[in-house]
Amino acid sequence: MEPNIEAVPLQFRSGISGAKTGGIGFVFDDIRGLIPNLQETDGTSFTALLELSAPQAVELLVKEDSPAKTMPLPIFPSNIALIDRASVFSVFASADNPPDRTNILSVSSSMKVDSVKEEPLESEYHRNSSSPAVSNQSLKSIKRKEREKKVKKSSKKVVANEASDGSGEQLPYVHVRARRGQATGSHSLAERARREKINARMKLLQDLVPGCNKISGTAMVLDEIINHVQALQRQVEFLSMRLAAVNPSLLAIDSESSIDNSYLGMFPPSIWPEGQMNGSRQQQPWLTDGLHPYDTSNFITPENSLLSYDSPANSASSQLKMEL
Amino acid sequence: MAESSNSDANSRKRRKIDPDSQTRWRSEAEQRIYSSKLMDALHHVRRPGSGGHDAVRDAADRVLAASARGRTRWSRAILTNRLSLRLAQINRKHKKAAKPSAGKSCSRKPAKKLPPVESKVKVLSRLVPGCRKVSLPNLLEETTDYIAALEMQVKAMTFLTGLLNAGAAAPA
Repeated sequence: MEPNIEAVPLQFRSGISGAKTGGIGFVFDDIRGLIPNLQETDGTSFTALLELSAPQAVELLVKEDSPAKTMPLPIFPSNIALIDRASVFSVFASADNPPDRTNILSVSSSMKVDSVKEEPLESEYHRNSSSPAVSNQSLKSIKRKEREKKVKKSSKKVVANEASDGSGEQLPYVHVRARRGQATGSHSLAERARREKINARMKLLQDLVPGCNKISGTAMVLDEIINHVQALQRQVEFLSMRLAAVNPSLLAIDSESSIDNSYLGMFPPSIWPEGQMNGSRQQQPWLTDGLHPYDTSNFITPENSLLSYDSPANSASSQLKMEL
Repeated sequence: MAESSNSDANSRKRRKIDPDSQTRWRSEAEQRIYSSKLMDALHHVRRPGSGGHDAVRDAADRVLAASARGRTRWSRAILTNRLSLRLAQINRKHKKAAKPSAGKSCSRKPAKKLPPVESKVKVLSRLVPGCRKVSLPNLLEETTDYIAALEMQVKAMTFLTGLLNAGAAAPA
């Protein structure tokens, strides 16, 4: 067991250098009894120690659930060798033992954790002075739990990768990272993946709909989204009505039948489609309403006569404009 | 964001519109294309009298759906189901009017899914065309694209009406 290795050289060397705290010696005796080869505590043979202390590790895990939660330390398995070497070096470097212990633990945990955590470590240690083995091994169990979780996750990832490689065109598996303290059953993982997908899309929608950023809660946000979609559809309806009101002048001009009307006699029908298309395509700047004078004259003159014909429709459209 | 990187990695394997929905419907080129196509379509709209605004709206929606390149569900629904959907709705309305309404309310009374979220999701799925039996994450995706497209449509139509009204009102 990897954490044992950090503790073992600690105990061993602290025993040698005359440990102040008797508790460490107590722990040292326990561990020494369990592990045959104390001389090989290099960090290279820790796999052998792992197998030997497997049942012990299970015991530790079973015992230590509550202190484990006070220590959220995501420590990666790759750091174990570093931890071992660092522990070895630091033990030689420092002479004191309680700081020694906390130094080693802080080195091991310094990958991710601030030095503030040293105090809970010490307090834990003092609290559990009756069973110092427990407190000592609690940290080991924590790290082992996390490593197990990482192993679980990595195995799940591997499986997911293979599955996704197999099914090329289908939906790939989503790689879900189970955080600490969350259930890691396959069902809950799948549900969490689904929830994360849904929440991601909801975030996009919140960015799109104005005023949704402040609202929290799925139901309210959905309300806002529904209102926004309905408002947009209503706007399209109104605008289409206005366009239809304006359009008869264009449509009548376009179709052959209305061109035969008397007041359009002076303009040949062929000009109209070209004129209007030019007008619409020359609007290169999207927001400016500047029209070419020639085109405006083309637009205006027949519409002038038609305007009187369609004045009620236009007034209705202008009324709609006011409402909007 | 990890989520966006995940979705980007997934997007290579299946069609995905999330990274596009914001940029595609907001570009000026797209707006220009839409407005010019809308003008063309409007020229071809026959003037049936009072139903002109519905025809205009249908033409606008069709052009909008066409410019979506068929990648979204709502656009495909608009393009394919225009007439058949309307007829089906009319038929269903006639059948509903024939049946007593009490039967309908009795069948709806045992509400299994009371959560308000679920009912809102149903309302939303009715609003977005062609998205009635779609799963929730896909529905949200379609809604995102649909809202962006609607906003572009409103902008384009506002511009066009302003343009045409200005052309019409200037001599007066």
